[in-house]
Amino acid sequence: MSHDNRPLTGLRVLDFTHVLAGPFATRILADMGADVVKINSAQRAVGAQDPKHPYYLMWNRNKRALALNLTTDEGKTVARELCLQADVVIDNFSAGVLDRWGIGYKAIHEHNPQAIYVQMSGMGDGGPWSKFVTYAPTIHALAGLTHTTGVSGREDIGIGFSYNDHQAGLHGAVAVLAALEQRHRTGIGHRVDISQFEVGVNFLGPSLLDYFANGTTARPVGNDLPYDAAVPHGCYPCKGASPNPDNIPGLGERWIAIACMTDTQWSALKAVMNHPQWAEKKELDSVEGRMAHKQTLEQHLGNWTQDQEAYDLMARCQAAGVPAGVVQDGADLLERDPQLAGAEFARPIEDVHPELGPTWSDALPIHFAKTPCNQYQRVRAIGEDNAAVLQDWLNMSAAEVAKKQTDGVLE
Amino acid sequence: MPLSGVRVIDLTDERGIYGAKLLADLGADVVRPEPPEGDPLRQRGPLTATDKATEASLWHAFFASNRRFFTLDLGTASGLEQFDQLLLRADIVLTCDNAFAVKEADLAKRSAQRPELIVIDVSSFGTSGPWKDYLAPDLVAGALAGAAATTGDIDTPPLKGFGELNFMVSGAYVAIAALAALAKVRKDGQGQRAEISVHECIASCLEHVLMFYWYAETMQRPEGKVLPRRGALHWSDAYAVMPAQNGSIMVTPTPDFDTQLMWLIEEGVQEDLIDPKYQEPENLRLRVERSMQILRAWAAGKDARELFLQAQERHCPYGWVLPLEAVAENPQLAARDWYRKLTINGQTITAPGAAYHFSNTEGEIELPLNPHTAAATNAAAILSDLGWSAS
Repeated sequence: MSHDNRPLTGLRVLDFTHVLAGPFATRILADMGADVVKINSAQRAVGAQDPKHPYYLMWNRNKRALALNLTTDEGKTVARELCLQADVVIDNFSAGVLDRWGIGYKAIHEHNPQAIYVQMSGMGDGGPWSKFVTYAPTIHALAGLTHTTGVSGREDIGIGFSYNDHQAGLHGAVAVLAALEQRHRTGIGHRVDISQFEVGVNFLGPSLLDYFANGTTARPVGNDLPYDAAVPHGCYPCKGASPNPDNIPGLGERWIAIACMTDTQWSALKAVMNHPQWAEKKELDSVEGRMAHKQTLEQHLGNWTQDQEAYDLMARCQAAGVPAGVVQDGADLLERDPQLAGAEFARPIEDVHPELGPTWSDALPIHFAKTPCNQYQRVRAIGEDNAAVLQDWLNMSAAEVAKKQTDGVLE
Repeated sequence: MPLSGVRVIDLTDERGIYGAKLLADLGADVVRPEPPEGDPLRQRGPLTATDKATEASLWHAFFASNRRFFTLDLGTASGLEQFDQLLLRADIVLTCDNAFAVKEADLAKRSAQRPELIVIDVSSFGTSGPWKDYLAPDLVAGALAGAAATTGDIDTPPLKGFGELNFMVSGAYVAIAALAALAKVRKDGQGQRAEISVHECIASCLEHVLMFYWYAETMQRPEGKVLPRRGALHWSDAYAVMPAQNGSIMVTPTPDFDTQLMWLIEEGVQEDLIDPKYQEPENLRLRVERSMQILRAWAAGKDARELFLQAQERHCPYGWVLPLEAVAENPQLAARDWYRKLTINGQTITAPGAAYHFSNTEGEIELPLNPHTAAATNAAAILSDLGWSAS
């Protein structure tokens, strides 16, 4: 009997996803105890699909690995048998790929009406762009996220990492779990069509409402709030940059974010600065006044912060009730951040990878009180779990597995 | 609807409200109590440009969609009793520390009394540690958790994402936590509390940032373990936003360099990219760098829209950089009937659709988009549900 009490223990997830968005969705399900079987093949294992690639290592922990050659009829037959046993089938191919393999929702639903299908394609199933090829930078551009995240009057910048891939993954996990609740109530597994593009557009919801209600078009605002008044509200330079012997632009700089959301917080910041003359001007007491003199105020503030040590300044601001935070990079997160250290956010995976040596995981940021999810298994090689998965899901004998292996079905 | 019949009490602020929205938009009955003076989030812009008496927060209309609003006077005995009865009927309670009514809810006691109850508690930095009481609006949260350090360019400060992008990450985790806990209740009746730190949520969604640190030896980057902000250039160097005619476009020679090369050859602008040295695996970075140089010069003379459509015809994942008004008029969204009509205080406007399309073999399941109303509008129905008279 299993002692695994995590919320999703026993849930069978057949995972046809690749790159980041889909694998992140299934990583979350796997972290919470689902039996996620990741389908891969030697043919497809290049770049971000190579289980030894750091990108793959990041998003595919806690999953079992089944190699399946889907160019063969027998490979498709095994895939179909697995779908018939699955609670969830998930993919982020372009719309229609699973249908072409004969394992789409309609084909399987007839025989396994409880199977939930979640399809996380770039553009969704239907519409003139449904076959378009997208990665997160594509979606950021098309969804308005690249245009709006930046500085007015300058070339586009956009978000510096694949934000929408993570969010599509999170929304994919929400979709699976909502469909599970629906199945609990109705007994029927539903299909969920998620367009990563629509997920991305959704993040500009208030601005879209503003456009439709008022005809206002959102533009990049740097670190300002687009609709509400808060000054100062930005990132300011600090002293203590790290050595940068190769002069790589931006490397090792120190910055602090300060966000005075109220007049009281501005007043407290003045006290932290020991009431410099420039800050004591009466017109700066109100947010309207600070908005009117924003440029000058921020220049003065930046001149002051550049002589301050970032972590020390953060502590003094926070002690005074001023929202402030060091602009932390990856090294800061993993070497200096006491909150992440206290939460054991970064963890070496105990089971050392036989070929790669140590690998790491960032912990699921959901702390369940009764069913903690703190098991982290290393990423598996292609086909490493062929026998175990086929035995568990299809009751296949070792001899049958061996024959399929020899026939080139499981590679 | 997927979450029909699931009762949720929404005691969140900006850090968790997107999670409550996700549940409400999937059909859960989400009640959001407000103080008599009104939810402070109703002040968040943008606002409808009408007179002061009828203006409404579009921010609130988006994030507090599909809720039932209930004015709760916690200074009165009847208010406390109403709250008590609301909580007695809830399957899920979503909280943010220091948000309205969280303290009065006494959820530790309620969880002990009702083992099936699910409570999701959001804080900025967790419940222990030296930063646990730090104040962190979206800008500060994104700075401390690593998002700002990767965004911006060398001539700009580190930047926050537009709007509320950091808190939308913690919000999405709130919905996941609530629904995973609900799956557990459905299995064995066991409810529970779960804690979510916004800080950890954002740090878990930084794509390459932790990878660069952990696998620096494999990545072999000149920057070492940390990649500084670099404008619109992707960490892989193989995706960048480039100026074009009539706009800008995200251009990449991936995933199939040969397809891109053939296109450049067709147009006679391949320059030295056909040199066999670029085919050598050890020269991949060189190939990427040279490809991007050539593509930048080539794209500069092209119309952004035409280039985007031609690229997609060739299965090249280019992305046309669209301003908001073009997103609003986008043909793909129109073809999928994505935008819907929302009534806000009696005014009907076009509104974003849901992030999901649920269907079964009989067709699509319609997800709700209920009118958005002033604070107390739903009070009578909620009181009736509780067995109280609205008067």
